[in-house]
Amino acid sequence: MATVIAKPEPLVGKSVRRREDPRLITGTAVYLDDMKMPGMTHAVVVRSPHAAARLRSVNAKPALDLPGVIAVFTGADVKHLGAVPCAASLPGLRVPFHHLLAQDRVYFSGHPVAVVVAADRYIARDAADLVEVDYEPSPAVADPEKALAAGAPAVHPEWPDNVSFNFHQDGGDIEAAFRDAEVVVKQRITSQRLIPTALETRGVLASWHAGEKSITLYSSTQIPHLMRTMVAGILGMNENKLRVITPEVGGGFGSKLNVYAEEALMAFISMKIDKPVKWVESRRENFQCTIHGRGHVDYFELAAKRDGTMLGLKLKLIQDLGAYLQLLTPAIPTLSVLMMPGLYKFKNIAADIVGVFTNAVPTDAYRGAGRPEATHGIERMVDILAAELKMDPVEIRLKNFVGNDEFPFATATGLSYDSGNYSAPLKLALQQVGYESLRREQVEARKTGRLMGIGISTYGEICAMGPSAALPAGGWESATVKIEPTGKVTVLTGASPHGQGEETTFAQIVADELGVDIDDVVVIHGDTAVVQYGIGTFGSRGTAVGGAALFEALQTLKAKVRKFGAMLLDAASVTLVGGECVDDATGKSVKFAEIAAAAYHAKKLPPNTEPGLVATHFWEPPNFTFPFGSHIVVSEVDRETGEIEIRRYIAVDDCGKIINPLLVAGQVHGGVAQGLGQALWEQAVYDESGQLITGELTDYALPKAHFMPWIESSHTETPSPVNPLGVKGVGEAGTIGCSPAVVNSVVDALSPLGVRHIDMPLTPEKIWKLIKGGRA
Amino acid sequence: MKVAGSYSLPVPPERAYAILQDPNVLAKCIPGCEGLDRVAEDEYAMRMKMGIAGISGRFDGKVRISGKNPPVSFRMSVEGAGKIGFMKGDGVITLSAADSGSNVQFEGDVQVGGTIANVGQRLIETTAKMIIKRFFDCLAHSVEQVV
Repeated sequence: MATVIAKPEPLVGKSVRRREDPRLITGTAVYLDDMKMPGMTHAVVVRSPHAAARLRSVNAKPALDLPGVIAVFTGADVKHLGAVPCAASLPGLRVPFHHLLAQDRVYFSGHPVAVVVAADRYIARDAADLVEVDYEPSPAVADPEKALAAGAPAVHPEWPDNVSFNFHQDGGDIEAAFRDAEVVVKQRITSQRLIPTALETRGVLASWHAGEKSITLYSSTQIPHLMRTMVAGILGMNENKLRVITPEVGGGFGSKLNVYAEEALMAFISMKIDKPVKWVESRRENFQCTIHGRGHVDYFELAAKRDGTMLGLKLKLIQDLGAYLQLLTPAIPTLSVLMMPGLYKFKNIAADIVGVFTNAVPTDAYRGAGRPEATHGIERMVDILAAELKMDPVEIRLKNFVGNDEFPFATATGLSYDSGNYSAPLKLALQQVGYESLRREQVEARKTGRLMGIGISTYGEICAMGPSAALPAGGWESATVKIEPTGKVTVLTGASPHGQGEETTFAQIVADELGVDIDDVVVIHGDTAVVQYGIGTFGSRGTAVGGAALFEALQTLKAKVRKFGAMLLDAASVTLVGGECVDDATGKSVKFAEIAAAAYHAKKLPPNTEPGLVATHFWEPPNFTFPFGSHIVVSEVDRETGEIEIRRYIAVDDCGKIINPLLVAGQVHGGVAQGLGQALWEQAVYDESGQLITGELTDYALPKAHFMPWIESSHTETPSPVNPLGVKGVGEAGTIGCSPAVVNSVVDALSPLGVRHIDMPLTPEKIWKLIKGGRA
Repeated sequence: MKVAGSYSLPVPPERAYAILQDPNVLAKCIPGCEGLDRVAEDEYAMRMKMGIAGISGRFDGKVRISGKNPPVSFRMSVEGAGKIGFMKGDGVITLSAADSGSNVQFEGDVQVGGTIANVGQRLIETTAKMIIKRFFDCLAHSVEQVV
């Protein structure tokens, strides 16, 4: 080799500041509700106050009489259109036809009944109150266990048992496991309904172009391309006549991984009135009508040997579905089953899911989607077993972990865990928290009556959704990289990010691979007319699947750049480094911008090479990825008030290779905040008649900044062999690892009082009653 | 939601029974009542204003009296709906003689829905109690004025 090539320091692995932030913190980002159009009209949805009722009549006349009102649409106007889609399928699944507006019945409080369109939003809101709807209320049921009981009101009269599906999965020999067991522990564990509460509520702006017979649909969504296909399907139009644009999205957490009635309604209305129409969801509507998360009642049975060896796990899972099936509603509990063994090596499981209709808004994917429930279940059960056997919760975990030499590990649920070193984050977390000395402190504390607890959760999760076989619309992701004639680089990603920071991380990857300045890279997403088809951002897949697609597109492009470089240098072989192509023999070089210009000016071309520098890659993941980690919570419970103080929060997460530590920290912090929300404060509550009584932020205890403990976050790094970047995903890890650590800690604190389990949220009232009553 | 309570009125049960079904007295004493019109025997159309948890609005509804057993008991059903939701109440009122006149006991169910349930749930019970107390205070006051 004639030359030594100085390689610039890589950006991957560096805490590069988010390029998204300037527009966000200066208030110049454009969200859906910031958008205005000439002639734009405003829509307000009339919603049922009843959880279950027959719809006798809808009279729009008084609303239409209000000056400024343009139109009112009711169920009859949209009866011929398609249904709000459910993409998940299971054997024997009962899917109610989900009309855009209620036809002859309403099934949950908030059910859309009519849409009022007016010249401004105030008029539309006033007019909505003037629509006369005659309801004949009937008994409702909002609790899934009550809905299964004999004689319960039927949510959908055609299915009086309220069952949408039964699903069974088993692996290994569960009967043998329980036959061989020396100890069996059982527990009913709930994961309460949660309201995703994205900071920005949903919103839609539709604009019909009569000349082209096409529609531009702006929506605050996680999945612009899938929405285009599905909304076009609902309306019966060609999908290439529909353009979906996603402006800045203020949080989704799964709640915008959906197609809602309003998206199709606004497109339809714009077409009918030949004007742009905008609908922005109010916070109350967001609580009532955007999907909720979780909603599990789980019955677990864990079989083990007296030495702590776990043998098998049984689960009966009752999933509260709500009144309809949204995009992935019935699939979410199947993810819980897939992850029910956690990080442990036992090979015998049996699970039965019953999906139950209730008079409530549908549940669907919310940050973690099925895995927080699974992790909460297994990590509570392990602690309950440890308590039963009087073993240390650390010891029992270490004894049952899948070993480092067992990867890829085939689980009882049919998954193949990609890579792992499960004891590493646990040991690091124990060392950081000072486990031995805390246990000694606990012994002393108990002598004086102080209620102090140490809770451990060792979670595993399933990310990088996912191989196409596992996802209804495919699980690949796409990327296009364009080197422009001046050498600047434009990336089009199909993974429409909405706060994950991929405009930054993807630019880091491009800068490293092509050797260009990060400021020369622009990442574009969220416009179906500009970006090639993509699946979207959810299931911690943005970087692990979308990033892998980008990486592969870059490899294709690099080969082409080298061809042009070799041609320009008249070299036999060249190396692309530091923004130049360098002749391997002579050390002569040609700059990136010159190569780009040559590729577009095309005065001369390398053999068998087209002009231009553009590459697209659709990357199909061969497997999921399986991040893991350990969270430890040290808590102190106030005997007088039931208040819980989180003294320490240790999070050691292994999400594979880290592209940007700053963004990973942000994901961990946000995830833990939402995990703490579930563990301690949040709960969506429907009353006996199906009214959502936590209908506002005054009644729904979303964590505030000052509720948060200091999070001591660190990482171990076990690369994934599944994708070329070695990344695993971190969007949901914090939420998944958190809740069992908190509950295990508080149960540990209260264990001297005989407490064995507490269902979330651990409100002071609940804890105080336990202290006073001394019983769980 | 269950509601129950007892109040005393300084008149004998026969008189209390009559007053409690007198539309003029009811219109005056139901808090927020803006009109009570007889539409049939023992059935009235009512317009009422109500506020709770920072939201307020008018209800259009019905009051119906049934199960009459003078001067011991009767059933009163109230239902209304408006922009802020709906409410339904149903209860039995029982009267008995007491040293001070009569003792009025009631026991019933109240159901609310729509915005008032979503937003005001935590205040509904106390608001209901307050409304009922104001109703009986007003009744007692009216009776004293007449007496």
